[in-house]
Amino acid sequence: MRALSVVTMTAVCLAFAGLLGLAVWHIAGSPAPVNLPGLLAENLDASGVEHPITAVLLNFRSYDTLLEIGVLVIAGIAGISMAKTTSLEDPDLRTSDSLLYALQRWFVPLMLVLAGYLLWAGSDRPGGAFQAGAVLAASGVMMRLGGIPMDFLRPGVLLRLGLALGFTVFLLVAVASALAGEAFLAYPAGFAKPLILVIETVLTFSIAMVLLALFVSAPVNRAQEPEEGEHE
Amino acid sequence: MTLWLMAGLLFTPLAWAVLTLLVDFRMGRAVTWLGILVQVLVSLGLWAAVASDGGFYYLLGGWQAPLGIELRVDGLAVTFVLLTALVAAACGWHASVYLDPGKSWHRYFWPLFWFLWAGLNVVWLGGDLFNLYVGLELISLAAVGLVALGGQAAALRAAIRYLMAALLGSLAYLLGVALIYGQFGTLSLADVTALLSDGTVAAGQTFPLVLMLFGLALKTALFPMHGWLPPAHGIAKSPVSALLSALVVKASFYIAARLWLDLGGHLGGYELAQLIGVLGGLAVIWGSWLAFRQTKLKQVVAYSSVAQIGYLFLLFPLTWGVTDAISLQAQQGITLQVISHALAKAAMFLAAGNLIMSVGSNRVDALAGVSRFLPFSLFSFGLAGVSLMGLPPTGGFAAKWLLLQASLASGQWWWLGVLLAGGLLSAAYVFRVYQASFIDNTDTDHFFHPPKSLEVIPLILALLSLGLGLVAEPVLSVMALPFEGSSR
Repeated sequence: MRALSVVTMTAVCLAFAGLLGLAVWHIAGSPAPVNLPGLLAENLDASGVEHPITAVLLNFRSYDTLLEIGVLVIAGIAGISMAKTTSLEDPDLRTSDSLLYALQRWFVPLMLVLAGYLLWAGSDRPGGAFQAGAVLAASGVMMRLGGIPMDFLRPGVLLRLGLALGFTVFLLVAVASALAGEAFLAYPAGFAKPLILVIETVLTFSIAMVLLALFVSAPVNRAQEPEEGEHE
Repeated sequence: MTLWLMAGLLFTPLAWAVLTLLVDFRMGRAVTWLGILVQVLVSLGLWAAVASDGGFYYLLGGWQAPLGIELRVDGLAVTFVLLTALVAAACGWHASVYLDPGKSWHRYFWPLFWFLWAGLNVVWLGGDLFNLYVGLELISLAAVGLVALGGQAAALRAAIRYLMAALLGSLAYLLGVALIYGQFGTLSLADVTALLSDGTVAAGQTFPLVLMLFGLALKTALFPMHGWLPPAHGIAKSPVSALLSALVVKASFYIAARLWLDLGGHLGGYELAQLIGVLGGLAVIWGSWLAFRQTKLKQVVAYSSVAQIGYLFLLFPLTWGVTDAISLQAQQGITLQVISHALAKAAMFLAAGNLIMSVGSNRVDALAGVSRFLPFSLFSFGLAGVSLMGLPPTGGFAAKWLLLQASLASGQWWWLGVLLAGGLLSAAYVFRVYQASFIDNTDTDHFFHPPKSLEVIPLILALLSLGLGLVAEPVLSVMALPFEGSSR
């Protein structure tokens, strides 16, 4: 029985890989009728940034990015809604590793600088809020493992404010542009660069906050929520 | 004016998600009431605007597709926006009374609720394949968060199962989108359709479409991929179950339907259409049978959703290779089925929540004698059941009548058996609940009486679903509205 299911799964995977390969082969043979990269290059000047990826993420398709940040905030909310205690700073979970402690004194400042650099680099080369946020969160994880107190990670109003900050600022810019008479999310002429920079900065902070909250709030709620119709 | 309405529609749910995240449950409840009012008014306004002036494309950030994202605001989209506003308002109102404010984790219900609403609107209005993916992600993650709320082991297990199914579905859809982008160089659905119609790109690649439809069918819980739905919808709080069954599964179906109607004629085939139709037919029969066999009340309702979703997939065979008139009839039938099922199933889950709250047990046979104590909730449950069975004059009847005519006109008589058997089987499981509730077992007389407002909400939804059959004509006429001449 088990052998049969293994054979079936292998056959399904092979068939899938074959079909996918065929589809990619077919697509590679014929050029796409719409030249989107060309169109992007023509409009890059109007976007306010020099790097095409940042231009797509924060200007041409900023609606997608706004919603993706929403997805991150949802993940953060779902994570902290299961947090066990009022304090996420559980002393049991701390390690007292002297090597880690020595390392983090070197690494944490370095990583903070790196996060800042990645954020700034996003305007004309690969980088930006997502990468910078990930590095920032990683330094947070390191600090937590090393036992540096992080009281702000309690699921209080401060944490929720941090989770929502980037999303809120992005949303305010979007709404302000709609109020100013342009379309939802259309930056006013001349303000694109500073606005994108502000959004990227707060996004970096909030993305790091979401990732860190998910790492820290891993313990699960021990208070019982009975299923409807079952007694507590 | 429409600019303001659009900004309001897109902005309110997202802003309210942030606002309710920052406050506690009671404050969040008050804030939510205000938000619901705004959102219902905006949705009504937009519906009226489209009903009088026709649909339009809305450019986000002022960038045209394919560079930017365009929203497609047509009759069908605003109808679903309005439906969402109605059902979500009812569920939000119900939840504000139903949920216990004393439990600290219930405060997170409100932000997740608003994010879910935002995601639904993204999907109804989306005209860009990747933007639709982002909308699906918003919906799935918010829905999983709502199922898991509280983090109890059983709820977590159901939520993780749901998350895995939803993620696999999303990834299959995303892979299909990537292949489509590689082939056409654009993500705008309208552009892809235009390229296929004028023959710039030779059709013949079915694989990307099949991948996308597979992912979406998994997210819609089409038989035999329905295993994740009953545990998740059964264990969630009743207002959450109502939202999930009434709206969330419809979002992925809506994308599948739009893809099929735009691309199916070029990339699909007869066998694919019939295969999807057969799976839908099996879902109707198997889901109804399992609903009849369940011992827990909410599982009955959840399996009933599996069955009712099956009907929706009859859209695929009934619109492939038929005349425009038959195709239109089938589309109208399916749309009515989506609306009437959304209203009826939300009513059913909310009523089931009241019944469970009243008797203190989630088993069907514990309902003995409840007909004397909670007649309103039981009545709403029954009215919703009448719509699911497809008896006149309900919306369910109008939907099935149109589907019946489309099957006969296209010569696909074999779907008649599905329509008839489905109606009979749904009568069986609804009457089983009724039978249990009318047993006069005088031993138990300690019933909890839920507040009146909890009983009124499902009744309103059930009456709407009942009345839908009478106003089907005007509703359908708005959905069939053409685009403004000026847009492409």
